[in-house]
Amino acid sequence: MESSNSKSESSEEIRIGVNVCHCGLNIGGSVNCDEVAEYAASLPHVAISRALRYSCSDQGQELIKKDILDYKLNRIVVASCTPRLHEPTFRRACEEAGLNKYLFEMANIREHCSWIHLHDREAGTEKAKDLVKMAVAKAALLEPQEEREVPILRKALVIGGGVAGIQAALDLADTGYRVYLIEKEPSIGGRMAQIDKTYPTMDCSICILAPKMSDAGRHPNIELLTASEIVEVKGYIGNFRVKVLKKSRYVTKDCSACGDCSTACPVTVPNEFDVGLATRHAIYTPFPQAVPSTYIINKENCLNTNFIVCDKCIVACERNAIDFTIIPETIELEVGTIIVATGADVFDPTVLPNYGYGKFLNVITSLEFERLINAGGPSGGKLLRPSDMTIPDTIAFIQCVGSRSEKGTDSCSNVCCMNTIKDALLIKEHWPEVKIYVFYIDIRAFGKGFEDLFRRAKEEGVIFIRGLPAEILEDRKTNNLWLIGENTLSREIYKINVGMVTLSIGLEPREDSNIIQRLFTLSRAPDGYFMEAHPKLRPVDTPTGGVFLAGCAESAKDIKDSVTQASAAASRANILMAQGKVTIEAITPTPIIDNCKFCELCTKVCPYNAILVDRENKITEVIEAACAGCGNCGAECPSDALIMRHFTDEQIIAQIDAITEQDANMKIVAFCCNWCSYAAADFAGVSRMQQPTNIRIIRTMCSARVSEKFIARAFARGAAAVLVAGCHLNDCHYIDANYQTKKRVERFWRRMERRGVRKERLQLLWASAAEGERFASKVREMAETVKNVSSEEIQKTVKAFKKR
Amino acid sequence: MPVKLWRKPLDADKIPKLQYEVHIINERCDGCGFCIDFCPKDVLARAEKMNEKGFYPPQVINEANCTFCGFCRSVCPTCAIFPIEKISRNIKEVE
Repeated sequence: MESSNSKSESSEEIRIGVNVCHCGLNIGGSVNCDEVAEYAASLPHVAISRALRYSCSDQGQELIKKDILDYKLNRIVVASCTPRLHEPTFRRACEEAGLNKYLFEMANIREHCSWIHLHDREAGTEKAKDLVKMAVAKAALLEPQEEREVPILRKALVIGGGVAGIQAALDLADTGYRVYLIEKEPSIGGRMAQIDKTYPTMDCSICILAPKMSDAGRHPNIELLTASEIVEVKGYIGNFRVKVLKKSRYVTKDCSACGDCSTACPVTVPNEFDVGLATRHAIYTPFPQAVPSTYIINKENCLNTNFIVCDKCIVACERNAIDFTIIPETIELEVGTIIVATGADVFDPTVLPNYGYGKFLNVITSLEFERLINAGGPSGGKLLRPSDMTIPDTIAFIQCVGSRSEKGTDSCSNVCCMNTIKDALLIKEHWPEVKIYVFYIDIRAFGKGFEDLFRRAKEEGVIFIRGLPAEILEDRKTNNLWLIGENTLSREIYKINVGMVTLSIGLEPREDSNIIQRLFTLSRAPDGYFMEAHPKLRPVDTPTGGVFLAGCAESAKDIKDSVTQASAAASRANILMAQGKVTIEAITPTPIIDNCKFCELCTKVCPYNAILVDRENKITEVIEAACAGCGNCGAECPSDALIMRHFTDEQIIAQIDAITEQDANMKIVAFCCNWCSYAAADFAGVSRMQQPTNIRIIRTMCSARVSEKFIARAFARGAAAVLVAGCHLNDCHYIDANYQTKKRVERFWRRMERRGVRKERLQLLWASAAEGERFASKVREMAETVKNVSSEEIQKTVKAFKKR
Repeated sequence: MPVKLWRKPLDADKIPKLQYEVHIINERCDGCGFCIDFCPKDVLARAEKMNEKGFYPPQVINEANCTFCGFCRSVCPTCAIFPIEKISRNIKEVE
């Protein structure tokens, strides 16, 4: 940043242009925009104020640009929708007219005003005026900022070697980038490798996957790291430094996969790939098509724990490929973009005692079914029931086991309906005489060709019964099973005897998702899957720059959707890497060395370790590229030594002062974080959740930006109530910064208690972007509190907090 | 949650279940205890009775666990322990 330049700009006369947008009737319908524009003209520094029909339209933008030149404007305020939508649009318009984009400020009079006060035009207009006044007050203090460019390494990391990870890796590698594909299992392939056939086309799953697997295995641009896990991630968009723990296979690349070692191995254990239906040895390859085909020794099963006790495999190996001296190594990778394709786990039906899984031998899961019907599986493709190894005469499928229920996940797992229909048709194909029942809640055949398949199953004589069995009982003699439940269409109780039951188990987020979440600072939806940056328009991006999602890591989905999403994620990563650079928002702190006491409090709260304090040499430095701009340090600093650019103390205090200038005793000063709680307020607006008009929202990047002095300022200025809102704990977009918010609010509550101020007047709310109703009800609840705050009480509070 | 493996594998009965027996020549043993310490399957334990030389030889406590790795034979400094396959003895009996 050229400081001389910014000095000269800040010392010149401030001329603000205000544009109040009608947004058709969206705002104009319940706010008198002309009146707001007229009011804005009376505010200090405002040189021109006008109401526009659609400010985001090309004409609207042209007008803003023209105004900047005609009226020599050096600050622009647009009062329209949420800055989360159109801030980039107007910033660009400002830049095109030669104005630094950080000299632009937005007032959200749509989501936060007109849409939530549809039936109170007068109060809505008054609130809109306040919101514009806040924006103008902040705009007057805005400073131009220079954005830093950060180079993007042209290398990518794909985590997870399922079909999504393979597809993403292949796409990027074919484009010409170096790709590291990491898989924690010994082979890539994932769930798709375990499945027999795919719906709706009945292709053999491994037959269509295996070529892709070997493509990935021998692609010159792909480095495959199997049996590897990520242990540490540092850095930022374009420049990630990732530490990978590569476990030892104890078998070198000389392995020809002949299998002599495995035959010689004296240890036998259940094979995970076959869901325990078959055995493997301690030295093994999970399945014949595994990539890499190199064998692996599972050290937990092997007899050689600390030293060589058994050398049978070593003796058997003609190529001397077994080496017990290989130790696990930690590899450090430097990559520019990351695709998270970690997949999903399956529901464990043992938690449902009424279905008897784990107790009755002939109750199997759909995953076990896939291995049983697979020609390469433990039964050689014969559908044998485990109790007596015979082909059952009747089979029942039970849908929604662990999906759409309190046990397991609330949501639909997307794949089970079609999987069952496919399985039923497979049985009919091989053993037409087998009678098949499918017990369901709803059959969801929503995709291309799905309905056809469903109809075919019905034509083939598969019996569909609506209503899941309440209980499964076992006939001790025959090991047959009795299914008892209610047919909800005919309203009759059924009791049906079958030879075998397949539970269509749902998908659920990986058990170790929290590790990935922590490593990459991702957020997770209430159902546990990773959350996208925007559910509609940025469905494969994550809140962390340079990190993308693919496959079941984002939500339960089938193979086709996983592949589609993987290509989408690869394409998004490609955009970044093709550009080769990215600009970083200039919202990072600037240290003021003269004020700094070198107390290091800022370094303790920084989630990114982005501040370096050298007490001896009196240096405080911010690593700009590592900083994400949450403002936690600025709120923590006791000596005003960190200026949070674009969210300075002065700017926020100016907004508080603007709110509390008039009728402060009726108002709620709210601080909302950009990512969750401000978005929740937006969502409440989009959903037209009507609310009282008391609230005025100040946007910060993170709730951890909210210093106690801001809260004190609001109360000292006579505000009736203060709301601090952020993302849910552990969902913070700045790793764990909102724990500091909690700490500060709790400390302020104690302060209020000591000074005899009612604690209810300061509220702390955690609301995710989807919890509009939660936000709206908090506003309603606080509006009731405001009614009970007497003017004497306010006087007392003002006195209590005014001493500074 | 990752899949729990609880079922008896379908091919479990087809795997040739070789049985081994561990022979100990008590009077030769010098009681070093290497075989007990190094057995990966905890087949051996110290005997309660002393041998003629005044050492405690090993005794077999869990023969079914033996996988015939032969490490006890390799480490024994006095060649006092060796495992053999049970099948071979069975054949002899038939003869």
